[in-house]
Order: sequence, then structure tokens, then C-alpha cells
Amino acid sequence: MLLFGRDGVPPSAREIGKEMMNSHSTNLKRVVITGMGCVSPLGRGVSTLVQGIEAGRCAVRAMDDWKHYIGLRSLVGAPAELKDEKLIPRQSRRSMGRLSLFAVQAAQDALIDAGIDPDSNLTTGRMGCVVGSTTGSAISISQAFETMLPDHDLTKLSSMQFFHCISHTATMNVAQHLKLNGWVMATSAACASAMQAIGAGYDLIRLGRQDAMLCGGAEELHPTVTGSFDVLFATSVKYNATPTLTPRPFDRDRDGLVCGEGAGIMLLEDYDHAVKRGARIHAEVLGYHTCSSGDHVSESSRPAMVACMHEALRQSGLEPRQVDYINAHATATLQGDKEEAEAIREVFGDSVPVSSLKGYLGHTLGASAAIELSAALAGMRQDRLYPTLNLENVSPECQGIHHIQGAPEQRAARIVVKNSFAFGGISAVLVCRMV
Amino acid sequence: MTKEEIVTLTNQVFEESFELAPEKLTPQAKIFEELGLDSLDIVDLIVALQKKFKVQIREDERVRTIRTLEDIYAFILALKQEEDPKK
Repeated sequence: MLLFGRDGVPPSAREIGKEMMNSHSTNLKRVVITGMGCVSPLGRGVSTLVQGIEAGRCAVRAMDDWKHYIGLRSLVGAPAELKDEKLIPRQSRRSMGRLSLFAVQAAQDALIDAGIDPDSNLTTGRMGCVVGSTTGSAISISQAFETMLPDHDLTKLSSMQFFHCISHTATMNVAQHLKLNGWVMATSAACASAMQAIGAGYDLIRLGRQDAMLCGGAEELHPTVTGSFDVLFATSVKYNATPTLTPRPFDRDRDGLVCGEGAGIMLLEDYDHAVKRGARIHAEVLGYHTCSSGDHVSESSRPAMVACMHEALRQSGLEPRQVDYINAHATATLQGDKEEAEAIREVFGDSVPVSSLKGYLGHTLGASAAIELSAALAGMRQDRLYPTLNLENVSPECQGIHHIQGAPEQRAARIVVKNSFAFGGISAVLVCRMV
Repeated sequence: MTKEEIVTLTNQVFEESFELAPEKLTPQAKIFEELGLDSLDIVDLIVALQKKFKVQIREDERVRTIRTLEDIYAFILALKQEEDPKK
């Protein structure tokens, strides 16, 4: 690698980059997805998720017990059912808040899907996890303050409260429960947390640092979570009496996002490692990019989205025309959907089918990219591209792209682009190919 | 508060907080070795006992000598008698 340049002339950044690309490219591993697990508002498991989408079910419902929150205008949510959590032994479970329980269940399911027994010896140092969330358990954080603040009394706090509330609670609990002793990290990029987790795992395996990584995100529904979007006027407020009609991504009558909860975890694996053990491969990860708008903490940025999609495609070695399907982030906010539609139009024109799955699931925030990508890949396996639920009349500013509306499109799609965007000006894009 | 009341309430804490079956809760049961609690559980045990019996025991040195359920019953009984020596 160039450190000092030729003939004593310092190398340019471009030269160093080129050298790095050349030196790495021969050694980079191929990375595949061999396991998918989720707990979503449509139920536990990817097959249940897909069944719900096939049936056109919207998991959003009225959250009547939120009415006592003063100033909370959005009274809809997409809860996931938590069950069978007592199958996790108490000494593992005690440090898990709701989102960690979702994450552990999804991780177990991802391993089983990959043909790996979750109780087998995973303590090899070559397997880790990256699981992200917006915050630690919102329920536990709320309980901690409710316990402590009336009297400013710390003595009433449980020892486990801290482990429920910390930002890396999901990834820590997945690792401890499954006895993983490889790389363990948490991403915290709000709604792009799962996508950044998958991207981080992809890079670690690509570089040969790990053989396999459980990657994804987890989130839980709580009035304080919906409230944080509500104060920014980003939530859906007009459909409290008709909850299944919202959210409405790209639709003329959309009025904001609806928070959901759950977890999505994927097992990413070195291709050679997967082939050696005879694993079934769902898809190959071809490229990934994440970037910031460097501009505004809450406003969506079309230029940043465009740059992120272009770079993810460049990393994949693909042209936009080679993409078969775009699984959009589209949460049904007025500005976000407009910017994303414009960005997709600028990069892909109107030929590539696009849909958002948030009409079925609400916005599962830090879990959304993993849950939605799982559903997209499972649909593509059946040559089915799912429509955007609740998209009846495409909003004028969201036109000019190929929306999938009404019914699934039956077509053989191999290459998918998954978008994920977040507050903080974060964009993250993954490109996968069906194998 | 009688010894029987203390036993009932203490055992409730173990059933509720540590999901232990009532038949395991014999007076001689060792808290670490037989009931399976660890250092983190002890923090929660103290919080739960303080709440159940409305006592402050976190800073009490006698907590360190507790090994069995009977030790807890005796400790709580002593605390309650210190609160009201006439009983």
C-alpha cells in the first residue's frame, strides 16, 4: 500500500483509495444471508409475516389506553404480540426488556432458519451480533423514571433496570443468551438502526473478521416513542377512528407515520462458510452504503438519499437499470415520502417497481429494515413483489416512479435495493441478489 | 408482625421475583447454592424485601451474613422487633 507516494511525492487521497481497493478486493469475502427471523406486528416468524402481507392485513389498531397522555394526538399503533418469553430461562430473561425479548426470539428463529441449533456451541469467537434500536427499552426507561423521580429515591430501582435501559440492551442480551463471544456491537441510528447493523455485519464478514453475524434491530411501542414523533408533527392523527387506513405511504391522503414494534434479525455468513456447511442461501449482499446529509436533523434530504443509493449501487458493481425491485423506506410522512419518491425517480426513473411495507406493519423503527427486507426476500422467492397497502391515489409529488398498487406483481426479481432513512440525516441502503 | 407472616411474605418475594416453586422454599434452603440466586439477584431481593416489609436494609451489615431462607426470616423478625420492642 502507498504510504509515502512515488518519487517522494505524497500520494493523493484518490491514489491511496485506489491502492486500498486493489489490495482489499482480492481478499474480500462474499457475504450471504442464510437465516431470517422476526417478531412483527403481523406475528412471529417470516412465514407469518408474509401470510399477513399476502392477506392484505394492516396490523395498526387504536391505542385507547394512550388517551390519558395530554397532547398526544396520534392514538394508533402497530403492537406485536409477546408470547412464549418464559421459555427463555429467568437468569437470561431478567436483563431483557420487551425489545430484547423480541430480539432474542428473532435471533433464535434466524439461527433455526439457517439450520443452526441455538443451543449448539456458538462460542467460537468467529460469530457475533450487531443489533440496533433507537433507545433501550422505552417501557423500562419510563418505569425507571416513574420509580425514581417522585421521591428522587434510587433505592427502589431493580438491578436489572439498567440492563433494560442501556442503548446496547438488545445486542448484549442476544449475545449473552446465545453465548456468542465474537464481535458484539449496537447501532443506534433510530429508524436506520437495523440497516446499519446489517451493513456493519456485512463489512466484518467481508473483511474476514467474522464468519457469521446475527444482524438486525428491535424496537418497542410506547406512548413516549409515538409522542417523540407526535411533537414534531410526523405522526398520523386523522385515522384514530379508522386505524387500518393508516399509514398510507406515497398516498395523497397520507398524514404521517404510525409506530410499530418487534424485531428483525438476519444471519449473515461468509459464502464459503455457508457452502461448506450446506446452508440454504436466501440472498447475497452485493453492496451497502450509509451516509449523512450533513444538513438537518429532521428534514429528509433527497440529495443524501440519491448519493446513498448511487454509492450502494457502485459498491455492488451494478447500474440502476439492473435493479428489479426497490423496497422503500416510505413511512407516510408528507416530506419523507416526497423526498424518497423524487430520489428514486432521479436514480431509477419510472421502470423499477417500488413499494413500502409500512402500510401493513406501521413503522417498526429500528427494526424496520430487517423485518421489511425479510418479507421482500421471502416474496421474491415466490416471484411476488408486494404492493404498498393503503396506497389508493398516488400523491402528485410522489409520482413518476413505478408504484406497486392493489395486488402483488408476479415477476422474477433478482436484485433488490432496500432503503432505510432516519432522523439525524441518516441514509442507509443495501443491495441484495437472490441466490 | 408474626414469624408466620414474615415467612409467608418472604416466600412470596421468592416466588414472584425469582419464579421459584413453593416446595423449594424450605427454611434451610441455601439462597445461592440451592435456590440459584446470584449477586445481581441479591440486589433485587433487597429491593423487594424493603418494599414488602417497608424496611431499609441495603446498608445493614447483617445482610452479608445471610445464607438461608431461615436467616432472612430471622433478620426481618429482628428488624421488626427493633421497630417495636414491645412485640
